[in-house]
Amino acid sequence: MARVTVPLADPYLLPMAALLTAIGVTEIYRLGPAGNAFRQGLWIVIGVGVFAATLFSLHSDYRALERYKYVFGVTALVLLFLPRLPVIGEPINGARLWIHVGSLQFQPGELGKIALIVFLAAYLRERREVLAQGRLKDWGPLLVIWGAAMLLLFVTNDLGSALLYYGIFLAMLYVATARISFVAAALGLFLVGSFAVAQGTPHVRERVTNWLSPWSTHPVFCPQNGQMMLRQNCQSYQEVQSLYSLGHGGFGGTGLGHGIFTGTTGKQVIPDLNTDFIYSALAQELGLIGVSALLLLYMAFVLRGFRIALAATDGFSKLLAAGLSFGFAFQTFVIVGGITRVIPLTGITLPFVSYGGSSVVANFLLVAGLMLISHRANRQEAGA
Amino acid sequence: MVLVASTTVAEVLLALKIAFLVLLYLFVLRVIRSAGRERRAPSQDSMILTPAAAAAAGLGPGSPRRKAVRLVVQRSPSLDEGGEFPLNSAPKTLGRGGQNDLVLSGDEFASARHARIEMRGDGPWVQDLDSTNGTYVNGARVVGAQRLGAGDVLRVGETDLVVEED
Repeated sequence: MARVTVPLADPYLLPMAALLTAIGVTEIYRLGPAGNAFRQGLWIVIGVGVFAATLFSLHSDYRALERYKYVFGVTALVLLFLPRLPVIGEPINGARLWIHVGSLQFQPGELGKIALIVFLAAYLRERREVLAQGRLKDWGPLLVIWGAAMLLLFVTNDLGSALLYYGIFLAMLYVATARISFVAAALGLFLVGSFAVAQGTPHVRERVTNWLSPWSTHPVFCPQNGQMMLRQNCQSYQEVQSLYSLGHGGFGGTGLGHGIFTGTTGKQVIPDLNTDFIYSALAQELGLIGVSALLLLYMAFVLRGFRIALAATDGFSKLLAAGLSFGFAFQTFVIVGGITRVIPLTGITLPFVSYGGSSVVANFLLVAGLMLISHRANRQEAGA
Repeated sequence: MVLVASTTVAEVLLALKIAFLVLLYLFVLRVIRSAGRERRAPSQDSMILTPAAAAAAGLGPGSPRRKAVRLVVQRSPSLDEGGEFPLNSAPKTLGRGGQNDLVLSGDEFASARHARIEMRGDGPWVQDLDSTNGTYVNGARVVGAQRLGAGDVLRVGETDLVVEED
């Protein structure tokens, strides 16, 4: 499919995506139950289908998307808002991220991310000259859509995505305007904002506490059951167990299938092990060497993405490729950094590896986008 | 016997584990090596297309790798033939009036402000400034703005200028 539609596209993206997906399915299968791996396989088939359909429908000129930028902007908002609707939305782990249609679960925020990147690329391409001059009125629609996205994310308690969206917004603004002062100002705003949010929202304050001191030597109040408990047995239980998992893996790892993920009762020790915490499962079984290779793979993927952005000849393609690559890199950083206690932990999927249909589909869309852009850039290079 | 069998299994598993890791690293190595052996440097064109916008964005003049472009007088009622007029990132105007960057004072067919040439990301572009007699590139009248390539002959009034790059 890819050979027919985009023969000149970057040849490394798809193999890397395939390898990451394969590692993911293997680990999901190993963690069980068996139905999960089957469902993930089904989603991969759907993801590849979406990938092929995207290549097929857009290979002549994907830049037509630029004309529908507000459609993408609104789509991003609608996708973010869907889980708030009463019938199909349902809170899982305190965050409303999912929609249910029949027995299907879907996390629309993942696709919203792609839609937002397309919108930002088109909008910034059109306005970057005036934005660089810093006139306030040209910022209107941009700030409205971004502000609404941030507000929705705080309302849905999905901090990981809020962080991701903010990062993508900042990075693309920087790519478009080349003004480091914007980034500095926005980072300042972020620090002030996150401090205020940490004071006001118990959900966020808890995350920061868990990050700075996951272990407590004396019992603290546990909101889950209202009793006094050690923090590692209550709020930071998940983080601490995940750290033990990393530690148990050590340098070389236990080997695939030999990791210990269940307690003496046979119950899985780390909640969400196959989605947000799949990195700690992999770190235990593959060890430091194994996950270093995994991280190198992610870096190579991002490297290819930014090379595509550099090689692209028009502003929209450059911005789109840079946005997609940065989003991918930052998402990996947020979850891996969270698990390894570099930054406060926020639940988000590890691209291609984590269990979850929407994540798989969104990431295959992302690869399709990068391949379309690189095909166009290489074709122009060959034609010139 | 059971002990022997289990050690063998453990050894096989260890070997498989190492093989898996080696393959993983070989894959990464392969990708990174080929990525480093790119056949061309990425395009360094500024995303900001016009020099004016680049200056407004505080980016300064364009990329230093840009080719030097100049106009060479081929035929003119006023200018010396073979005279050179270099182009840089600042837009240049051509015309009969003294306020122009290239003054064609003796050319009766040139308008006071006749045409403008500016360097964009991909090279020099000429734009006709509603002149009476028009601006021509290789004999064809310029409508709006047009890209100039090396060797193009630009006619303003009775003056012919050749675009040269090096």
